[in-house]
Amino acid sequence: MEEPRKDVLGHLAMLEMKVNHFAVKQQVSCEKEHKATIQALLTKRDQLKSEIKTTTSLQKIRTLLDKTGVPCQRDVDDLDDGSENSQLLLLMARHTQLKDLLYAHHLIGGYDVLLTEGKGVCVSMATAYESLYLETYNLEVKLGPKIRISRHNIPPFIPLEMLVKQENLQTDFSAFLDTLSQYLNAYVGRRQQLNFIKENHKSVQLMETNAFCTILVLMLTVPGKDIAVLCTLEYNNHKRCLPTRVKIESKDTVLPSSPQWRKNQALFLETPVHRALVTLKKTGSIV
Amino acid sequence: MNMNLEPYEAHIKVLQEEIAALQSQKEKNEREITMHLGGSMKNALLTMAGIETGAETRKSLMEIKAQLMTEIEELEEDLVRQTKMNGIALISCSVKTLEKSSSKLVQQYRLAGHCSSLNYQVEFVLSDVQVDAMSERMITDLNIIMEATEFKDFSTFVSRVEDNGDLLLFFRTIRRFSDMCEDRRRTFQHFQEKYPDVISLPGGCRSEVMLIQVPKLPGCSLTISWALEVTDVGEVIPKIDLVTKMPEKALQMDTRKVMDNAPESFQSLLKILGVEASIEALVQSVLLNM
Repeated sequence: MEEPRKDVLGHLAMLEMKVNHFAVKQQVSCEKEHKATIQALLTKRDQLKSEIKTTTSLQKIRTLLDKTGVPCQRDVDDLDDGSENSQLLLLMARHTQLKDLLYAHHLIGGYDVLLTEGKGVCVSMATAYESLYLETYNLEVKLGPKIRISRHNIPPFIPLEMLVKQENLQTDFSAFLDTLSQYLNAYVGRRQQLNFIKENHKSVQLMETNAFCTILVLMLTVPGKDIAVLCTLEYNNHKRCLPTRVKIESKDTVLPSSPQWRKNQALFLETPVHRALVTLKKTGSIV
Repeated sequence: MNMNLEPYEAHIKVLQEEIAALQSQKEKNEREITMHLGGSMKNALLTMAGIETGAETRKSLMEIKAQLMTEIEELEEDLVRQTKMNGIALISCSVKTLEKSSSKLVQQYRLAGHCSSLNYQVEFVLSDVQVDAMSERMITDLNIIMEATEFKDFSTFVSRVEDNGDLLLFFRTIRRFSDMCEDRRRTFQHFQEKYPDVISLPGGCRSEVMLIQVPKLPGCSLTISWALEVTDVGEVIPKIDLVTKMPEKALQMDTRKVMDNAPESFQSLLKILGVEASIEALVQSVLLNM
C-alpha cells in the first residue's frame, strides 16, 4: 500500500511543484511586462519633455521676433547654445509669425491676394456686420496691358462694371477694391439687419424688401389702439447700411406728425433698424 | 519564492503622473503659440524632438531646413504683397488660445502696426463656433489704442467701434483717413515748395494749417485750415476753410468787403475747381496784388 500512497504524495508534490513553477513563471512574465511598461513610459516622458523644450524655446524666440520685428541670429544664439537646433528654431518661429500675420491681415478685412496661373491675381475680401464675420467674396483679375475681371462671386446687383470704370482699375486698383469693399460690407450689413428683424421682432410684419436690401417696408402696430403704421426705409446710398429716407404712414393721419413719431423717424435715420425697433418697443411706440 | 512587484507598480504610477503633468504642460505651451502644423512645420517639430531624444528621424535636418526656408520666402512675399495692397502694415501679432474644443475655438489676438504714419494697437477675442456645419466667427472685447495725435479727436468713433466689435470698419476708416492725410500733406508741401516766400506750414507738413503771408504786408495773412472729421459711422469728411486776418486800418480801406467775403468766395471756388486749383487761384491773386 506504500506505493500508491507514495504515488499520490508524489503526484501531489509534483502538482505543488508545477504550481510553484507556474507562479514563478507568471511572476517573471509579470516583471517583464512591468519593465516593458516602464520603458515605454520613460520613452514617452522623454519625448514629451523634449517637445516641451522645443515649444518653450520656440515661444521665446517668437516673442523676441515680435519685439524686434526682424529675425536676428545673435539674439537667438544668446538664447540657445547656438547649435543647429537654434537655427531650425528660428526658422520655425519665423514660419509661425508669418502665418499669424497673414491670417491677421485677413481678419482685419484685408484683401487676400493670391497669384494665379498665368498673368493674374485672385483677390478675396472678408465682410462683416459689426462683430460678426459674413461672406468672403472673391474676384479673379487678369493683369496685362488691360486689367480686367475674369471671374467673381460678387452679387449681380453690385454695380461692378460701373465701379471698374469709375474708380479706374488701371491706375488705382486699391481705390477700386476699397469702394467695392464698402459696397459689399454695406450690403451684407443691411441683409444682416433684416435677419435680426426676422429673428427678434416677431410682432413686426415684413411687407416688402429686395435682394439688394435697399428698400424695406415694415408694418408696425401701435399698442392699445391697434393702429397699423407703415414704415418705409430707403437706402439710396449703397455704401451705407443706414437709410437715407424714412417715411411713416398710418390711417391715423395725425400720428406721423406727432412729436413721438417725428422722434422715431429721426431715430430710424441714425440707428440700425433692428436697434431702432428695440428702442421703439421700450418707449411704448410699438407692440 | 515570492518576488515583490510593488516597486515596479509604484514606479509606473509615478511615471504616469509625471506624463499627465507633462501632457498638460505641452497643451498649455501649444495654446500659447499657435502652431499651424502643416507638413514642414510638423516635420521640423518631430525632428527637433527626435534629436533631443536621440531617436531616428525620417527626414534629414538639412532637407527640413531647406523646405522651411522655401516656405518662409513664399510667405514673406505674400506678406509684402498683402501689406502693399491693403495699405495697412502689421508689425506684430500674438495669438493666445483661450478655449478649444471640437466645436469651438476662442483666441485672443494682439496686433500692432501702422497705416502710413498712424500707429495702432488692437486687441480682441475671436470666437469660431461651429453651428450646423457652418462656422460662425465673431469679435468680442475689442480694444483699440491709437497713438497718432491726428486721430485723438475721434474717441466717439473709436468707442462706438469698440462697443460694436466692428474691427473691419475701424481698419477701413483709418485707411481712408490716412489716405486723406497723405493727400493733404502732398498738397501743402507742393505749395510750400512752389511758393516758399509766401507760404509757410507753422505746424509742419502734417498739420491742418497752411499760412499765406506777404512780406510786404505785415499783419495780413490768409490761413487755409484743412481738417478731417470722422463721423460716428466711420465716414471721413474733409473740411477746408479760409480764415483771413487783417489790421483794423486795412479793413476800413477794404470798401468792397473783399476780405470779409473771401471765406465764402473760397467755398464756391472749392466746389467748382477742387482743392488744388482753388489754393493755386488764391495764391495767384495774392501775388498779383503785391
